[in-house]
Amino acid sequence: MKNDLITLDNVSRFYGEVLGVNRVTLSLPPGITSLVGPNGAGKTTLMNLMAGLTHPTRGRIRVLGLSPTQSHRLFGLVGYATQFDAFPKGLSGFQFIYSFLRLFGYSNAECKRLANQVIEQVGLSDAAGRKVAGYSKGMRQRIRLAQALAHDPRVLILDEPLNGLDPLVRAETINLFRRYATEGRHVLVSSHVLHEVDMISDQVVLMSGGYVVAEGQIQGVRSEIQERPVKILIHCKQPSMLASKAFEHDHVVEAQILTEGSGVLIKTRDADQFYRLLNHLALNGIDIEGVTPADDNVDSVYDYLIGGEEKVSL
Amino acid sequence: MMKLWYKQIVSVIRLEMKKTFFSKRGLWVYLLAFAPVALYMVNSVHITRQRQNLVQLATEHPVSRSVFNGIKTGLSRDQVVEKLGEPYWQRTLYHDRESEKERSFVLYKYTDGKNDFTYHFKDGKLTQIKHRDPDTLPKSQLIFATSFQFYFLRLAIFFGCVGIFVNLFRGEMLDKSLHFYMLTPMRREVLLAGKYFAGLLATVVIFTSSTALQWWAMLWQFERGVIVDFLAGPGWTQFGAYLSVTALACVGYGSIFLAVGLLFRNPIIPTVAVLLWESANPFLPPLLKKTSMIYYLQSLCPVTASPDKNMPPVINLLISPTGPASTLTAVTCIVLLTLLVLVLASRQARKLEINYSTD
Repeated sequence: MKNDLITLDNVSRFYGEVLGVNRVTLSLPPGITSLVGPNGAGKTTLMNLMAGLTHPTRGRIRVLGLSPTQSHRLFGLVGYATQFDAFPKGLSGFQFIYSFLRLFGYSNAECKRLANQVIEQVGLSDAAGRKVAGYSKGMRQRIRLAQALAHDPRVLILDEPLNGLDPLVRAETINLFRRYATEGRHVLVSSHVLHEVDMISDQVVLMSGGYVVAEGQIQGVRSEIQERPVKILIHCKQPSMLASKAFEHDHVVEAQILTEGSGVLIKTRDADQFYRLLNHLALNGIDIEGVTPADDNVDSVYDYLIGGEEKVSL
Repeated sequence: MMKLWYKQIVSVIRLEMKKTFFSKRGLWVYLLAFAPVALYMVNSVHITRQRQNLVQLATEHPVSRSVFNGIKTGLSRDQVVEKLGEPYWQRTLYHDRESEKERSFVLYKYTDGKNDFTYHFKDGKLTQIKHRDPDTLPKSQLIFATSFQFYFLRLAIFFGCVGIFVNLFRGEMLDKSLHFYMLTPMRREVLLAGKYFAGLLATVVIFTSSTALQWWAMLWQFERGVIVDFLAGPGWTQFGAYLSVTALACVGYGSIFLAVGLLFRNPIIPTVAVLLWESANPFLPPLLKKTSMIYYLQSLCPVTASPDKNMPPVINLLISPTGPASTLTAVTCIVLLTLLVLVLASRQARKLEINYSTD
């Protein structure tokens, strides 16, 4: 059973004197795991370490029982979609995947079949004959995803896979992750936006400054977050009225009218209830021009989660 | 397992092919390789025309070779004209152009259709005879040997290998596309072998083609009979030897610069160091001399670029390798040196990390 896990034991990686990740100890079971953290948190370093693209300064990593230094064995089991937005020159989408598969030793016919299959899976069949260099950012993201999926790996490591995808493709991609997870595979996804992945993750690892600041089942993280007031910025023509109506509800803990009078900043303990309230107010004559979550990023979650403590155990 | 490695190596070669053969960055390699072909061709065309011109002039001003032998210094202009007839070309050189009486030199040119003679007269007396030999095959062979050993091996192939082999790893690090290979179940040693063979294929094809074309361009000026006789004699053996030396130079220098691309972020300094070491070879003591690639490559060349009395002494010093190695020793040493460098490079490849931000 232990071979089903991805384990990191006290792993550190330094780039000279710069910290990549420090003292990371994790044990990840199959399912969707999200690595969440702002830029520079160490997510990519951690993924590169798991894939053997970089080596730990100290500590031990095992992916399904294999050391990442055994790349010739590891990549039969692992598919990694990196964030590196560069491709071998002059190749079309199909050639890119086909050439990649050839390096696995598949036959010509098998490579063609698998390449076509995975290209269809990521919705790039129409663009398969075009040069990758001419692809949009979203298409490049998808062809990288196809590369990771092409050989049907047991472990998928995906660095910011949802970046640049339009809503439809994003939904399809998320469904794909779910399907892989239900088949008992690992899907390790990184993101700097917690809300992007919290709905799909079985477990989450929050990172900051090279350290794991929280890890565990997503429900635990979510409940931690739900106890925390959320800031929402509402642009409207009657901010005072909106503020007074909002204050009638217990979950609203603060309302701050913007100095220029163009809106109000609400702090609420229950975002869902507040959004329902907004709908109600809009139907009853308050002209709402726009609603923006004011702290809907992982940094603010950390501020809350970490608080005065070094690490929150979930 | 070997079958898988073979498949992976072939796949790497296929992927690298475009980069090694058709990269815009690599156009200068073709220039380096094929510049001598153009020079030989221009020279051959020039000499052929000159020869045709001499034949034409000999028809218009017929003189037999035996008559030329009778012309000695001290003869007067009238005596020379009496024996040889009017020259096909003449010029008078003046010390002082203002006074024609001050003229001092007269030049007459004659030809028998093959040889070209220039007679210098001073004060009406023949003082000097200059004879330009026709361009013979042995002379061309020596020129070819010199150009091959001092331009083609030391500069063209050397820098061509720098351009192609260094970029196999370093170029992809700069393009941020090396990780593509690292995401496959391929041993780093197999990747290194694939890239080495891809570079080798490109350099061997480019430079052996150039050697073959240079050879052909060198022979082009000669009559068919001369060429056939030469090829029936030592010609084909020499040709094969030059092609082999070209390929071995790619094998040896290729391994060195593949390792340079893996070991150094800035390949310029190690490249200059290797160039200096190879260039300093003639001045090194015998033991150190044997630690350079050029020593063994020159030992394998079929024609020794022998010191010519007209060549500057420095060049004479350069082109006199002391005690050339036997063919077996030379080939063995090149292969062993290549294997040693490749083993060191593969150890480095195993430790290779993808860290584009620092490259």
